Order: sequence, then C-alpha cells, then structure tokens
Amino acid sequence: MKKDLVQRKKGVFAARIISNHQFKGRFCRMSLELAGLGAEAFETVTPGQFAEFDLTCASLPSPEDVPVELRDAIERKILLRRPFSFSDVRIEDGRAIIDVLYAVVGAATVRMAGLKPGDEISVLGPLGNGFTIPVKKKLAILLAGGMGAPPIQHLAKVLAAGFKNIEVVTFAGAKSSDDMPFAVSDKNTAIGPAEFPDYGLEMLIATDDGSTGYKGLVTECFRQWLQTCEHKADDTIVFCCGPEAMLASAAKLCEAEGIECQVSMERRMACGTGLCQGCAVECGTGNSGQSVYQMCCKDGPVFDSKEVIFDL
Amino acid sequence: MKKDVNITIDFAGLKLASPVFTASGTCGYADELADFMDINALGGFITKSITLLPRKGNPTPRVVETDAGMLNAIGLANIGLEQFIKEKIPLLEKMSAAIFVNVAGQKIEEYVQVTAELAKQPAIAGFELNISCPNVAKGGVHFGTDPAGVRRITEEVKKAAADKVLMVKLTPSVTDISVIAEAAVAGGADALSLVNTFTAMAIDTEKRRCVLANRTGGLSGPAIKPMAIYLVNKVYNEVTKKSGIPILGLGGIKNASDAIEFMLAGASAVALGTYNFIQPARAIEIVDGIGEYCRRNGFDNVHQLTGALE
Ligand SMILES: Cc1cc2nc3c(=O)[nH]c(=O)nc-3n(C[C@H](O)[C@H](O)[C@H](O)COP(=O)(O)OP(=O)(O)OC[C@H]3O[C@@H](n4cnc5c(N)ncnc54)[C@H](O)[C@@H]3O)c2cc1C
Ligand SMILES: Cc1cc2nc3c(=O)[nH]c(=O)nc-3n(C[C@H](O)[C@H](O)[C@H](O)COP(=O)(O)O)c2cc1C
Ligand code: FES
Repeated sequence: MKKDLVQRKKGVFAARIISNHQFKGRFCRMSLELAGLGAEAFETVTPGQFAEFDLTCASLPSPEDVPVELRDAIERKILLRRPFSFSDVRIEDGRAIIDVLYAVVGAATVRMAGLKPGDEISVLGPLGNGFTIPVKKKLAILLAGGMGAPPIQHLAKVLAAGFKNIEVVTFAGAKSSDDMPFAVSDKNTAIGPAEFPDYGLEMLIATDDGSTGYKGLVTECFRQWLQTCEHKADDTIVFCCGPEAMLASAAKLCEAEGIECQVSMERRMACGTGLCQGCAVECGTGNSGQSVYQMCCKDGPVFDSKEVIFDL
Repeated sequence: MKKDVNITIDFAGLKLASPVFTASGTCGYADELADFMDINALGGFITKSITLLPRKGNPTPRVVETDAGMLNAIGLANIGLEQFIKEKIPLLEKMSAAIFVNVAGQKIEEYVQVTAELAKQPAIAGFELNISCPNVAKGGVHFGTDPAGVRRITEEVKKAAADKVLMVKLTPSVTDISVIAEAAVAGGADALSLVNTFTAMAIDTEKRRCVLANRTGGLSGPAIKPMAIYLVNKVYNEVTKKSGIPILGLGGIKNASDAIEFMLAGASAVALGTYNFIQPARAIEIVDGIGEYCRRNGFDNVHQLTGALE
C-alpha cells in the first residue's frame, strides 16, 4: 500500500505452466514457474500485488467445452493482457512458483483454462503495491468476497508464517456456496484449493442465500463477530478484497469503529503499469472536499480505505 | 550481418536516432518505459496531452477491450502545465529522444499559453497539437473537424511555439482528411501526425448500457490499422508529398511489418500506441526490425522507405 521503499524490479518474463485445472464450477487454479530474472523479480512479491498475463497465444477450447453464456464472448479476438493477483508465491530450487486462483468469466479466462502443463505465457510484473502489515497490531481480520479470495489467501499465509504475534481471523463470503472459490467441508470450513485451514487459521464463511455458513453478507457476519471481539480497535487491522460494495461497507464499519482498514480495489485495466490512465480510483484529498483520481494499478491496488471514495 | 543501414532520420529539421516514436497517452510523461527498454533508441517521445490546469478526466470504466482493439475515454486526464514543468521536465532533460509535448485545451488561448510556456524549455524539441481528442465535451475533436478552425489554431500555436517543431495531430473522424491536412499545412504545421483514435462505442448487452461511463470512446489498436494506412497514404499523395512535410504515421501498429507498411504508404516516422501496453519493449524491437528489413531489401537508408509504395 505504501509506495515501495525499495524499487522492485518489474519486467516481462516467460512463465511455464506447471499445473492448471478446474476445481469447482467456473473456478480454476493454475501454478506457474519463473526462472532466472523472473524468479528474482517475483521473490519479493507482497500479497495484493499482481501481474499482467498475455493470454493471446492460448488456444480456444471447442465450443462444447464452454458455458453457453460465454460462447459468443470467446469468439472475440483478445488483445490486452489481463491482471491477476496471486494466492501464493514461493521459491523452490531457485525458481519462483506462483499460484493463481481464477474464475472463467470471458474471452481471456476461457483461453487461460485451456493452458496445459509445459505451455508458456508472458507475464508482466510484479505490479502495484500490496498490503502493508503493521507489526504492532495484535489482531488481523481478513475479509474475502467472491473472487477477492486469492490475495487474502496469500496474505493469510504470510501472516501465519511470519507474524506469530498477530492473531488472524478470516471471513469469506459469496452469493451462494457455488460462487465460493473453495471447496467447503461438512463442518462449513474451507478445504481444497483454499489453504486457510492448512495455515491453522480460523475461517468463517457467509453466503447471501445461506447455502453455506452464516446467511447474509460477509460484512454483517464480521460486524456481529466484532461485537464479541476483545481486542482494542487500535490493535486491530482489517484487510479486504472483493466486490466494491463489500469493500465500501467494510470501510464504513471500520471507520465507525476506529479500526485501520486496507482495501484491494479492482478496475478495468489496459496496461497495469500506469501508462494508460484507465484504472482510475477516486480518492479524497484530506479535508478540502476535493477528490483526485489515483491509478489502481500503480498507486494501488491496495489503498487505505479512508482515502477511497467508493463507486457504488 | 552487415551494420550498414542508416536508421537515423531527419524529421522536420530534427535529427532522430530512429523513425520510431511512442504515441501520446500510451507512454506516460517521461521515462516510464525505461523499466522495460533502452528509451534512448527511440527517435521521438510524445507525452500524454498536457492542459493548462490539471484534469481528472472521465469517470470509470474509461477503457474497454473490443475485437482486436480497445476503446478509451480517459478524457485528457493529466497533471497540468505547472506540475508537468516541475516534475517531468527534469526527467525529460535526461532523455535523448526528441521530446514532443502533446498540447490540448478547451480554447485556442489555452493551447497558446501552454505552448508559449513550454517553448522556453530547452528539453523540448517540439509540440504535437491535439485537436483530435474524441473524449472531451468542449475542444478536442471539434477543433479538428473544421478546416478554418484548424488553420487558425495552427497559426496561433505556431507563433507560440517559436523555433520548436509544430506537429498537428489529425482526427480520422472527418469526411475528407486531406482538407484538414491542407488547412494545418497552410497554418504553418511543420509535420502532421495521423491518426488519432476513431470515435466508437461498445454496449454491454446484459446491462443494456454503454460499457464506458462516457458512452463513447476512441478506438485504437490493430483493428484500426488498415484505415490508418489508407488515410496516411491519402494525405501523403494529396497533401504532403508536394510540400515535403513529414508524416508521423500511427494507428494499430504492433510490430516492424506494420511500421513499414505506414512508411511505404508515406509516413516518415511511426508511433507505437496501444501496443506499448501489451509489450512495453516493443518500440525498440520495431527499431531493430525496420533495420533488418532494410538490410534484407537492399535499402541503405531508412528514409528510402517513405512513400516507396509501387
Ligand atoms: C488487480 C487485479 C487483480 C485480479 N486478480 C484476479 C484473480 O486473482 N483471479 C481472478 O479470477 N480474477 C482476478 N482479477 C479479474 C480478472 O482480471 C478478470 O476476471 C479478467 O480480466 C477477465 O478477463 P476475460 O477476458 O476472461 O473477461 P472479459 O470478457 O474481459 O469480462 C468478463 C466479464 O467481466 C466484466 N469485467 C471484466 N473485467 C472487469 C473489471 N476489472 N471490473 C469489473 N468488471 C469486469 C466484463 O464486463 C464482463 O462482463 C483481477 C483484476 C485486477 C484488476
Ligand atoms: C489509453 C489511450 C490514451 C490516449 N491518450 C491520448 C492523448 O492524451 N492525446 C492524444 O493526442 N492521443 C491520445 N491517444 C491516441 C494515441 O496517441 C494514438 O493516436 C491512437 O491510440 C492510435 O494508435 P494505436 O492504435 O497504436 O494505439 C490515446 C490512446 C490510448 C489508447
Ligand atoms: S491500467 Fe493503465 S494506468 Fe492503470
């Protein structure tokens, strides 16, 4: 979130697909491997940063393998790269391994789902500013809405591994069980591609229709939980990623409670590198009542929730 | 391989390292692309449009991908003249490419004021007059569609530009682009750049709404290339060939072959726009590719490509 103190090296790198599969409905998980300079560049990635994938060379699946509502969309000739954050980044034998959790929603992600182990794609990154973890906090609350899960998952791992003094509680929400990018166990905890349980972290699930876990909005679930929480507001921090309405309501709640809150924003991007000025996020400028546009890709995607004027 | 091809060019009196520019609005204000390539191999660099006062631009969504292209309705978002001079000129001073500042405004006086102020800066080689932006309510494309208006604004800005090169950027969204090109030349333009984006629209069928908040935007990328080539060739044949005014050709270029097409059609130099987003080192690869093409086809000087269409 803070402007990078150390100038990290970004670049265009070839990445090799290690695995790629659909695990539930339209949700897929892909692992990529970068060697050499690419590995160096991605070694220092912080959760919330992202990369732009060139998927133009990925071949189209046959129409039968494509959901009916996407059959027209996939005929479009794609041009631009697509932004993705990471659900994990790790170094193995000098190579950077990046895990990406993604939903098949359109022309590029349909092609992405067809990538096979051994295929190569071009990755531009790492980009943007990730979450900042203030070491003095005692409690970190992680809120993931729908496809906002990947960077939250990455953050959960980093917190669990490196910040033992910070207690972590995670909330994940979606419209219904089917829209949840995790497999869910009988006990309403996440299993499968979401590693939250592996990190030994508590996770609460909410669905709008009550098909799994708490029935209602994840922010409401979080609000109720907060009333039972014994930590002081000053010692607490909230990190969230998900639909803008969810971020806005988390921001409002945190502001009322005096809790620091960081939100990861999403905008349509053409470049991801600050060149096109396309991904504007409206931000307040202190007490002047004025606002400016900051660039989601370069100034964000993680912002202090108090800065952002949400677009609802 | 022999290194015998001269890829430097003379462009309206400027000596350029290569015929490749990066296009306004796609390469930042200064050295943003230096993370990815040696920007000193560029012939020219054109800044994002600069206006007198800072502009926030349009609400989002202000970019969207379409078939083999994209629409943008950024709305001339920029930091404004004062901040540009303070923060970006020092960076531009370190670059060896010819620096063109793209100037935009709502009124002729605003163009003149920005140009006059920047004409004092030694780091700047010239100006690109943006009278062709489709994304602002006033000014922009409206100046660019009326021949008398184009001539007047060119004359006024030319005076303010003093000894710097003045390039006028034309909109393709007109009935006869040669009439506009003629007017710019009559007004004293030292060079022409074409094309800017084509005014266009995309609709979200599920929501039954325009995808862009601004409703319309400018189409760029490979989708516009054949139209841009045609317009460059038309202006070259009908206007600039006889007057010797160079054309900067752009619109949908993605590689050296595309760039060469523009040169054969009549462009003296080319600019890479949307493709900077996809391959941020591509502009330099195009410089190499043009050199390689010349070698392969027996041209010893890159300027021989200009208008070499049989
Ligand atoms: C910083 C960042 C990180 C991201 N991380 C992930 C991730 O980890 N996993 C993941 O699955 N996705 C992620 N996304 C979203 C992902 O980039 C898009 O889903 C992808 O670009 C869709 O491409 P497509 O061609 O398949 O769909 P398109 O055909 O481009 O779009 C499909 C549908 O989604 C809508 N849409 C597309 N992009 C956006 C947008 N940015 N905002 C609002 N609506 C949009 C379109 O209107 C359309 O209805 C991230 C986006 C950003 C900006
Ligand atoms: C996101 C974006 C922003 C642009 N901003 C400007 C601008 O500020 N001023 C201008 O004269 N042209 C602007 N352009 C137009 C380009 O300079 C260029 O004329 C056009 O995109 C066609 O070239 P291309 O197909 O290679 O992109 C912009 C284009 C894009 C895609
Ligand atoms: S996506 Fe181009 S500036 Fe952010």
